[in-house]
Amino acid sequence: MSRDELDELAAGYALGALDVEDRARFEALLRADEAARRALRRFEETLVRVAAERPEPPPPEVKAALLARIAASPRAGNGARVVPLHARPRRSVWTVVLAGAMAAGVAAIAVGMAVSSRYEQRLEALGQEARTLKAELDRQASVLAILRDPATQMVALSGQTPSPGAHARMLWHEKAGGLLVAAGLPAPPPGKAYQLWAIAGKSAPVSAGVFTVDPKGTGSLRVPPLPGVSHVDVFAVTLEPEGGVPAPTGAMYLAGKSA
Amino acid sequence: MREGNRASAAADLIAAIARGDRGAFERFYDAHAALAFGLIRRILRDPEAAKEVLQEVFWQVWQDAPSYDPARGSPEAWLVMRAKTRAIDKLRSIRRREQTFVAPVDERVAAAVATRADDPGLAAEDRGLAQGALEQLPGPQRRAIELAFLEGLTQSEIAAKLGEPLGTVKTRIRLGLERLRTAFKVDNT
Repeated sequence: MSRDELDELAAGYALGALDVEDRARFEALLRADEAARRALRRFEETLVRVAAERPEPPPPEVKAALLARIAASPRAGNGARVVPLHARPRRSVWTVVLAGAMAAGVAAIAVGMAVSSRYEQRLEALGQEARTLKAELDRQASVLAILRDPATQMVALSGQTPSPGAHARMLWHEKAGGLLVAAGLPAPPPGKAYQLWAIAGKSAPVSAGVFTVDPKGTGSLRVPPLPGVSHVDVFAVTLEPEGGVPAPTGAMYLAGKSA
Repeated sequence: MREGNRASAAADLIAAIARGDRGAFERFYDAHAALAFGLIRRILRDPEAAKEVLQEVFWQVWQDAPSYDPARGSPEAWLVMRAKTRAIDKLRSIRRREQTFVAPVDERVAAAVATRADDPGLAAEDRGLAQGALEQLPGPQRRAIELAFLEGLTQSEIAAKLGEPLGTVKTRIRLGLERLRTAFKVDNT
């Protein structure tokens, strides 16, 4: 993956603007690749500076409400809190009554907040679900668009020496990207993944992404349009380290020439 | 260097909050609430919604402080990313509600809303805000970044909205953020 491509993913991720597949791709990189983590940190810090240009003091009631909320429900699992033991001064009946009333007030606020925060959470969960469904719909729509276009190339990939029984189909459209569907591949060993390459003429192979397979040996990969790649002559799949590599190093599992 | 010290002071506060130190929480709030609230207000125009989001964000700070990992970034970044995500979630839920229940009665209101959606930058100027580094970016870069950062659109939604190829949008976002990074001298660590 080129530096620009990595930065593109990191920038989109920092903004929360990646589409599902890019997000999954970048999250895989984040796990494997220090350069990806660095790129993300740089862009996140940049966004902090953007935010810092326009600070706005919040109204004081927010802090008051937060402190009441914290006082009303100490966080679970912090048994290490130190409680100072000092002798309590004697209190009159009225301070006790007042304290009781205040505690009741705080409890009422806490209950109100808990209820509203539960609904809020439920709403957010529904929102998240809707976003996931929409993203899936977008993905399917983009695949359909590829299928409908007569300019789409269809390439059959056949199994190579390590996995002669494997086979795959690749749909490729220079402007819309493509889709690989593979079957019969062995599960990659830990730390490894399959990487798809697009090769045009005599140019060096260009990475089209990494993917893995389910226990049945099937897997798929949605490929974004590749900068500088139009017609592809050969698609190939190699076994590589999980995060992907800039040029193929491992054994070739699948390959196919376009008509 | 001063940056580093400030970040590590904030990281110390987060560590203390993780141990349940309410005083540390108050200090962290006092030092950072305006940063988070400024961003939340840029995303949400409704002040009540913005207050609610701010409270949720700092409630998360209190709850999630034990999971803060300094290796992943500064406490400010940790906070700002949460503030952004929460505010965008809220913005989406408000929009959903508006779409579902409230038909715009006054056409001028609808037109004003449309202007804001079409040109968030213009809306920022409407709000009488000073020119920051974001506003000084070339128009197309700024527009793409604002649609993502302040309106919560994904790259393909931005491409569809602007009628531009997805690749162009991705490049603009990268170039714009690179330019901001240089402007703010965020070092190349």
